[in-house]
This record gives sequence, structure tokens and C-alpha cells, in this order.
Amino acid sequence: MKNSLREQLGAWLFLSPFLLTLAVFFVYSTGRAFYFSFTDYNMFSEPQWVGFANYISLFQQSLFLRALQNTVLFSLIVTVVQCFLALVMATVLNQKIRGLGFFRATYYMPSIASSVVITLIFLWMYQRRGLINYLWTEGRRHAPIIVFFLVTVSIIQILQVVIERRRGFPARWVDPALTVMSILIGTAVTAGAWVFGFIAVRDLPPVDFTWLQTRMRIPESPEFLRVPVPLIAIMIQNIFTTIPTLMIMYLTALQDVPKSLYEAAEIDGAGATQRFLNITIPSVRPVTFLVVTLSLIGTLQMFDQVAIFGDAVPLESVITLAYFVYNRMFPGAQLPQVGIASAAAIFLALFTLSLVLIQRLFIKSEVS
Amino acid sequence: MLFLKTDENGNPAGTTTEDSNITFWRAKRRWARVGIVYLVMLVFAVLFVGPLLFAAFSSLKINPLEYPPSLRIAELNPVNWVTAARLGNSGSGNYWSGGFAPGGDIPFDIQYFIPDGVEQQTPEIQVPRRRPGAGLGAVRAIEFAADHAEIHDLRVSDTEIGRHEVEDVERAGRFVTWSFRITYAGDGPKIDRVPVDILAAPQHYYISSTLPASRLERRGRVVSFVDIAPGIGRYVFRNYARLFDEARSVTTGQPLFFAWTRNSFFVSVVRVFTNLLFASMAGYALARYHFRGKFLVFLVLLFSQMVPAQVTFISNYLLLRDGLFGLSNLFGRTSLLNSLWGVIIAGAGSGAAMIEAGKVFIMKQFFETISRDVEEAALIDGANQWQRYSRVVLPIARPALGAVAILTFQGAWNEFFWPFIVLTSPEEVKTLPIGLMSFRQTYGAAGDWGLILSGAILSAIPVIILFVVFQKYFIHGVSFGGSKG
Amino acid sequence: MRIRSVVTMCLVIGLSTIAVLSSFAGGAGEAATPDAPVEIRIMGYGGQDPAIKARLLDEVIGDRLSEQGIVVTYEPLEGDYNAALFNALSAGTAADIIYIPVETAPGIIDTGVVANLNELTDISPFIASLNESYTFNGNTYGIAKDFNTLAMFYNRDLFDEAGVDYPDENTTWEDLDEMIRAIAAIGDDVYGAAFPASFDRFGAFAFAAGWDMFDDDGHSDLTDPAMQEAVEWYTGLVRDGVAVQPSDLGQGWGGGAFATERVGIAFEGAWMLGFLRNEAPNLEFGTAMMPIGPSGERGNFVYTVAYGINSQTRNLEQAIAVLEALTSVDAQQFVLEEGLAIPSREAMSENEYFERGSSESDANRVVFEGAESGRVFGFQFGAVGTDWMTPINAALSEVMTGEASVEQALATAQQDLNELLAR
Repeated sequence: MKNSLREQLGAWLFLSPFLLTLAVFFVYSTGRAFYFSFTDYNMFSEPQWVGFANYISLFQQSLFLRALQNTVLFSLIVTVVQCFLALVMATVLNQKIRGLGFFRATYYMPSIASSVVITLIFLWMYQRRGLINYLWTEGRRHAPIIVFFLVTVSIIQILQVVIERRRGFPARWVDPALTVMSILIGTAVTAGAWVFGFIAVRDLPPVDFTWLQTRMRIPESPEFLRVPVPLIAIMIQNIFTTIPTLMIMYLTALQDVPKSLYEAAEIDGAGATQRFLNITIPSVRPVTFLVVTLSLIGTLQMFDQVAIFGDAVPLESVITLAYFVYNRMFPGAQLPQVGIASAAAIFLALFTLSLVLIQRLFIKSEVS
Repeated sequence: MLFLKTDENGNPAGTTTEDSNITFWRAKRRWARVGIVYLVMLVFAVLFVGPLLFAAFSSLKINPLEYPPSLRIAELNPVNWVTAARLGNSGSGNYWSGGFAPGGDIPFDIQYFIPDGVEQQTPEIQVPRRRPGAGLGAVRAIEFAADHAEIHDLRVSDTEIGRHEVEDVERAGRFVTWSFRITYAGDGPKIDRVPVDILAAPQHYYISSTLPASRLERRGRVVSFVDIAPGIGRYVFRNYARLFDEARSVTTGQPLFFAWTRNSFFVSVVRVFTNLLFASMAGYALARYHFRGKFLVFLVLLFSQMVPAQVTFISNYLLLRDGLFGLSNLFGRTSLLNSLWGVIIAGAGSGAAMIEAGKVFIMKQFFETISRDVEEAALIDGANQWQRYSRVVLPIARPALGAVAILTFQGAWNEFFWPFIVLTSPEEVKTLPIGLMSFRQTYGAAGDWGLILSGAILSAIPVIILFVVFQKYFIHGVSFGGSKG
Repeated sequence: MRIRSVVTMCLVIGLSTIAVLSSFAGGAGEAATPDAPVEIRIMGYGGQDPAIKARLLDEVIGDRLSEQGIVVTYEPLEGDYNAALFNALSAGTAADIIYIPVETAPGIIDTGVVANLNELTDISPFIASLNESYTFNGNTYGIAKDFNTLAMFYNRDLFDEAGVDYPDENTTWEDLDEMIRAIAAIGDDVYGAAFPASFDRFGAFAFAAGWDMFDDDGHSDLTDPAMQEAVEWYTGLVRDGVAVQPSDLGQGWGGGAFATERVGIAFEGAWMLGFLRNEAPNLEFGTAMMPIGPSGERGNFVYTVAYGINSQTRNLEQAIAVLEALTSVDAQQFVLEEGLAIPSREAMSENEYFERGSSESDANRVVFEGAESGRVFGFQFGAVGTDWMTPINAALSEVMTGEASVEQALATAQQDLNELLAR
């Protein structure tokens, strides 16, 4: 464009409100946090330069080490599980059928509401005599029926596949048409067996699993893999609320994959699993990079749930790096430790950046 | 399988039988697959919406922690609706919200089972002076039904011989129904609710009453009703009514929920406007202009997306505390903490909440996709830079602006971390998520789940409506937002 | 043309900036006129305190203060009081008079912004153990507003059903053991007592066993036999299934568990009364002193909140006048008679309120007397504040759920505590 000076001025004017706030609330703030991380500062006296003492002190505090361990476990487990499940769900949903829009909207519901709303509802469900333990109890009580049903369905399915193959049809082990029949017959048989008393609901006491007020960690060993139970509770909740968003991102990508690829594969006799592994996963690789990055950044900075669970859970069972920073900045009954808080925050930032870079090496991105 | 023997045109089967068989077989497989897909989608739907719906239903219960959790909710039973409306009407002439007003005359029945060999004793009826709620609600001066209620005509109205299971043993005895009326004596103010406690002798087992009991106390001896003249609205939405009745500001007496909702709307709407204006301006400049330092600006913008909010909030908190270098003194405030403007102006994470870097990015991406030709045309018309931007570019950018508006609103409405840091006191200054959380603390860690759940459900409604109406923008927004990594 | 465009843009930016900034102006402060009354601000708890303060000012001390030209405003800090107070103190916006909770007193006083009261007012009429909690290096920084101690609250219906005598001031740990087991025998869903896995209640039992929180060097010894004995007794009842953690009943604290009518005894303070009034108005309860432990004495905590004066106040004289009015005899009399709080003046023990004979006045009397019976310590843990309790809470919880033995759990806790104190 012509008149470059005027253009330059125009550009800066268009940018000025944004640049001003970015400079004050991001550049200056990040710089200040960096500076504070090398000082001893409690908001009442002037900051004292202490060099790397805060960083060293961090790694001597068991609370920080627990926060680090919790954060890493949380981030890795949640990222892997939710990205995988989101892709599976997107694959199932990637159909040209009526009502898809309705279902897609429905699944998006958990992502709409605020973290506070969802966390409060989950907190309610995680009560000792809450919905989750109730469903668990009912699952155990009905175990004979469920097992009977599954076994019946499998037997009928095998029989049908064998018969169809004898008749010369290319039936697969999980052929949809046959599965539908198996499920219908299986349901009828199970219902019959239940009514006539061959199988019955077991009489078991209610499950009283403590999700929240517990310091239990599973599995028993090794030490670095022991996840506190309340953290698992948060993981479940986090996966529940994030899957829909990730799923929609995958779905958008999947809709660009040519249908003919799948059809060709199907004619070649590739099963659903093979098609998933050989077509779906490679074709969504760029989105996978994106989804994993977003998921990593989100989970590494997990704060809301810890704050909202609050005193309903032991702090060290759920504390994350993000919450550790807050906890040192506002330690309640003590003087604020701005220096320690800043050091932990800077550590968290560097940790996030390096993890994102590392995963970039693993999942080769084709865009950007 | 007779029909398999004709092909599509109904021709007698010949050499094509084998082919048409396999075609039909494949069609069957396709249909079955659609069926299974629907089934799976239905299962997912139950999985994702089930918990929220269950919470919504449970928020109607007096005790949402009832075990086993059941969907047979007394508050959703139409028989109880009719009774509640009738009782509400007899208490105050109001079918919907009930209450207790002069002239009120509430008839009530309660039935007990008394095993043989137990002496029948008349239960004691009492209208207790009960304050609603713990902390906040307890502050307000309220009228008590107890000061105006009189109990009349307590008598046995029905006795029936029968058997009933008591502690796993079936015993012979009699079902005795007592009837009474509670009237409003003299003149006085209208009172919101009429709690009733009925104390029976030991081994009088409560069976039923006009309205189901709210709870049993003292090892089953006291049958307690939170309100026997609720009207249908107060009966079904009791916890929602309590939300407004009990959680009130200690200074103004106004329902906190209103204040929180107002604050949330204010912050969200202002942020939508500031982001629309400033983010589109910045995005436009980044997409269209060539200027020195553009790359640096872009780099900082990208970087700001990666740096966690925990890094910037420390300094931003201190900036607000000191009133933005003392600038706020110009407007009579020494500090911007506990101020909605503090929440809007600064922010945690990528810079300011009023101009989010992510939104600038979305606008930049969008402006890069539209062709320069339109602008060039305007240039020839002699429009200046601002006119070019505001008259030519912005109207084309409507889809991106829509996504930015919706995403900003949703983000601001739901935001937790930053308002949690800035808004601590008094209660009236909080936004909905922060206020809701203080609910949990005020009522103890175990909490008053009736209030918590109804508050959570109610606060989610605006974004759910927004989502239902602007669904497309949300889905767009996710793919836009997705491209920011 | 081009110039116009730049001007327009400047205008847009300028105007919107002004629009944003000017909307701050809502709360512009009015300039103080010289003969206007002096405003003294108090920062304190939310919850019921604002209403209590309003009534106290209205009905008792307001007139006296306004004669002196003082207007009092109460600013409740809801939520986490300590965090909010630190914010206000560091920002220089703290009120003239602030609440100082006993557990955070060392931290708040460390900030150096609380005035030493020794020279400013007379602290001798107040209960000595309360004053001690606010005295550091011979300087006293707060006057207790009111206080609380622990007492045994018992459910009369459950005791009657189990056929056991009610506890009284002579009840020992052995007696209590029997009571708890007898009540638990009533049924599967009933427990003898609520024992939270938390030092804020357990501490009283540790003291009764003869344990001290700190030795002379400021070091805490968790491996002390007295501590072991207390932990074994306290957690043993839970492990035997006769006592229960409140969280196992879905409750956050002992009072919540007590209100479910599923536990015979809860160890709480007078804050129970308001709660029970709301949550379990029909519950028939009695109150007894804490049980006598192996040391031959009972143990107890004193929980208190004091009024302190912000040393940066511009109206020191008036602030002291308000402080004195708030802690005056008639103010404390009013608060006690309304059943709102327990007064901190020593002379109040003779008050006839305590002889009324209702469940509530009995409970208040037991709590009042608790401050001077047996081994009583302030609810205070040095500069680390309530974080001090965290390792012990973890140990109690681990033992109660069977994740660790008493020795293991206490050894781990000792390590964590050492690390904490070394910070």
C-alpha cells in the first residue's frame, strides 16, 4: 500500500489499545513475576534479592513435590484418556444420519456450563452416599444379570456368524445386522431367565467408597505412579467435561476425510478396528497435535476444581502446581510468599512450554 | 426367506439370485449399523446429559442427598401438586406461592400405625419458631408463623384395623388418622411459610400425611414439615425460592443471587463489546498492515497464549491492589480489587480480559481469509483507513465477530480464576461462579445441597439458552479456538 | 482525508478509553468536612457478625459513641477472612479496628501493622489465658472479643435408648469408651461419637493425655508416648466402628454429624447452638465438660478472636474509644444474654444467665468454664499458622482408615512437621 508512513501510523493506532494492555498486563507482569521469583517478598516489606534460593527451596518442599507429581500424573493420564475417547466418539458420530446435530449439541452440554457448576454437581455425586457410589452398588448387585446377558449375546452372535458363513455370506465377528439380532434375543433370554428366577440380583450392602475425604492412593506401588483417589475423582470430572470440545474438533477434521477411503477399505474387507487404525488415526494427525497441545496446556494449569473442592478433600491429595502458586500467594494465616509463588509460576510456565515442545516431536504436525 | 428369491425388480430369481441376496444382505447390514449408531449415540447422550439432568431433578428435593437416589420425587408427583395448591389456597388464598395470611385455615391429616399392645396417645402438634437457613438468612428479621398460628380440632378422624411391617416384622395393629386445623388468629402480616412439627409417642409409626413429611427427627418420633401451606410453586421449587429468600446481603438485605447475576451480566456484556471493538481492530492491523515490529507483536501474542495465568496474576493482582499505578484515585478508588472494573480491565492469562489475545488471533485469522479486492475498491472511492475498516471490512466480518461475541460471553460468564482472585468481599460484589462457591463454604463443607444444586442449575441457564440459540457459532468457535495452538 | 482518518481513530480510541475510565467514577469519595463525625471502620467476619454488631451498636453502645462524635461502620469480610485481611493490610486499606483470629495472630502481628495495646488501654479485666494468646515479647496486640472452648454435646434420645447414664464433669476416657460402645450397639446406622481426623478437636484429647504442642525450643514431638496413647485411643474407636469420622456420614464437621442424630456425642463449642437451632431444632441435647484423660486432667482448646488496632489509623484516640465500648461490661452482658457469644471478661462468670437451666445456657456455661479447667491451650501454632496441624491430620486420617499404623503415621507426620517448622 502507498503512503507507508501514514499506513504505519494507522497500523499502530489500530493496535494501540491491544498493545497497551498486552504490555501492561502480560509483558510487564511476566517480567515482574520473573523478577519476584529471585526475591524474598511478602507484600509488606520491600523485595530482597535472594538469587536462586526460591527455586532451590521449591524442590525441598514436600508440598511442591506433591503438586508436581499430581500435576504430571493428572496431565498425562487425562490427556491420553480424553484424546483417545474423543477420537473414538468422533469416529462413531461421523455418520451421515438424521438428528446428528441434535446429538452433537447434547454432548456439548457439559462443556457449556462453568467449571463451578459442573464441579459442584460432581461434588454432590461423589458424596459417600451419592450417585456414583449408588450406580457402583447397583452395578455390583446386577452383576450376575449383566454377565449372563453378555455371555448370552456372545454365544448367539457366534452361532449366527457361523451359520451365516456356512450360507456363504461374508459375515464378520461383529457384524452389525447380526449384533442387533443377538442383542434382541439376548435381552429376551436374560429377561426370561430373570423372571423365572435362574438369575437374581445379589443382595449386597451399599458401596461406601470414599472419593473425597481420603488420603488413599492407588496403585500401591510404584511410588511415582500412585494417584490420590480425590485426584482420580477430578480426573473423571475433567475428562467428562473436556471430551465434547475435543470430540467436535476431531469431528470437523473427520468430515474432511473422503468417504471413499472407508468404502474402499470396507470392500477390501477391513474391519472397523482396522479402518480406525489405518485410516482415521493417520488422517487426523494434525488435529491430534492440536488437541493434545490444548489438552496438555489445560490440564497442566488445572486450578478450578482444586479450589472448588476446597476443604472437602485433603489439600495434598489434589494440589497442583497452579494451586500451589495461589496457595503461596495467599497462604491464609501466614505472610504471603510472593517469591516462592513466582518461582513456582515460572517453573510451571517453563514446564508447560517444554512439554508442548516435546509432544511436538512425537506427533509430527503437518500444519503450522 | 422367500422374498430373497426375487431381485429388485421383482423378477423371478435366476442367475442373479446370488447377487441380489448379497445386496440385500449388505443393505441389512447398513440399516443395522444405523440402528447401532443411534443406540450408541443415545448411550452417550445419557452419559453426558444424565448427570446434569439428575442434578436438576434432585435440586427439587428437600434432601438431594437422599439414599438411594431416586427419580420418584415427591415434588414431581401431580397428586402432591394438587394438595400443595389446595393447602396454599387455604393458608393465604394463593394457589401458586401459598403462605399464611389472616383468615388462613389449613386442614391437615396425619396417619400413624400403632401396633397392638401399644397405648394410643394423641400426638403433640407444634408450629415452631424456625429461622430459615444458617448464616446469611438468619440475619434478617422475619415474622414467624408461630406467633399467629392456632391449632384447632385435633381429633382422631379415622381408625382402621390392619397389619404393617415394622422393622422387618409384620405386626397387627391399627392405622389411626388424626386431623387438625391451623388457623391464623387475628390480624397481622402475611407469612411465607408454616413449619409444623408433630411429636408422637414411641412406637407410633408414621405412615402418611396430607403432604409427605419433610423429614423424620428424634429417631422417628418427630415428623417435621418445612411448610404445610406451600402452594404449588413453592412446593415444587422450594430450593429455588430459598435461594432468593435466604441468601441475602447482610448489608442491603437484597437477594445475593440477583447481585451476582447482575455482576456476571455486566462483566460479560462489557467484555463482549470491548473485545469486539479492540480485538477486531488489532486483528485487522495484524492481518492487513505491513509495519515494523509486526513479527515481534505476533510472537508476543502467540507466547501469551502459552504462559499460564499463574505467572501474570501475581503482578496483575498487585497492579489492581495499587489502583493501576494510582490511576484509579482519579475516580475515587484507592484500589481496583473487589471491583468489577478490575475484573474487566486486567486479567489473568494472556493479558487483559477486555482485549483477549485469543480473540485478536481469531480476528486476524479471519481477516486473512477475506480478499483484498473489496478494500481496494473502497480505496479507490477515497475512503480513509478508518472508513475502510468500519464500513467495508467489519460488515464482512460478521461471522467471526459472532464467534468472538459468543465465545467471549461464555468465557466471561463462566470464568473462575481471575474473579476468584479479584472479588473476595463483600458478597454483593461477586460474580455468579464465585458467589456459588461461597455458598458451599457458608453452609459448611457438607453443604446445603438443595441451595447449592438449585443455584448451580439456575446459573447455568443463561449459557444453555445462548448455546441453544447460537449453536452454530459455538461449534465454529471451537474450530476457530482450535487453530490458536 | 488521510488526516481525518487518523483523527477519527484517535477519537474512537480516546473516547472509549474515557468511557471506560469514567465509569469508575461511580464510587467517588466525598470530601470530609472538618466538623463531620469521625468514622471508625471495623473489619470482621461475615456470617452472623454483621447483624450482631448492628444490634450491639443500635441497642447498647451506639448512643455513647455518637456523643463522642464517632460513627462506626462494620465491614464484613466474607469467605476466607485471613486472606482478605492480609490483602487489605498490604494494600493499606485495612480498617481502624480489625478482628485478629487467635490461630493467625502471630502472622498478622508479624506484618507490623497492629498496634501494641499495653500503653493504650487496660487489659487486666480480661481472662488471662486469652490475653496470653495475644501477647508477644511482652506486648499485647489484641483484646479478646469473645471465646469458645470444646464441650461434649450428647444426644439424650440415643443415651436413653441405649440405657446409659449421661456424661458429666467426672466422666473419664474409660467411662466414655463404654458409653460410645453402648450407643453404637443400638444399630448399624448409629455411632457412639463423631471423631474428626483433625487436630482442632483431637488436640484436646492429646492435652488430656499430657502432651504439649511445643517444647521450650519451639519443637514439636509427635513420638512422645502421651501423643501415641491419645492417637491410639482416638483412632481405635473409629477403627472398631463404634465412633465415626463426620465425613463418613457425608458431613464436614462433628456438628453436622450430630445433627443427623446418628452419633451420640460430638465434641464442639458454643457455635453448635446456632447451628442446631436451625438444622436440628427438635434434637434433645445435653452438654458436659470434656472427659478426663490419662493425665488425670481434661484437655481443651481456647478459640478466640480479638479486636486489634491498625497502627496506621488516623484516628487512634477514637479507635480506642470504640474498642473499649465494644468490650465494655454492658456490651458483653448484652451479647451473652442474647445467647450470641461468650464474654471474655473474667467477672462475667457470676452472670445469672448461666443459671437459667435451658440446654443452651447450660452449654454456654460449660464452654465458659472450659477455659479454666484442666490443661487448656490457645488454638495457636506459631508463625506457620494452621498449616502446623496438616501433618497430624494426615496421620489421624491414615490411622483411622487403616492405611498406616500409629507409629508409622506419626513418624511420617514428624518428618513433615520438622520440614514445615524449618521453613
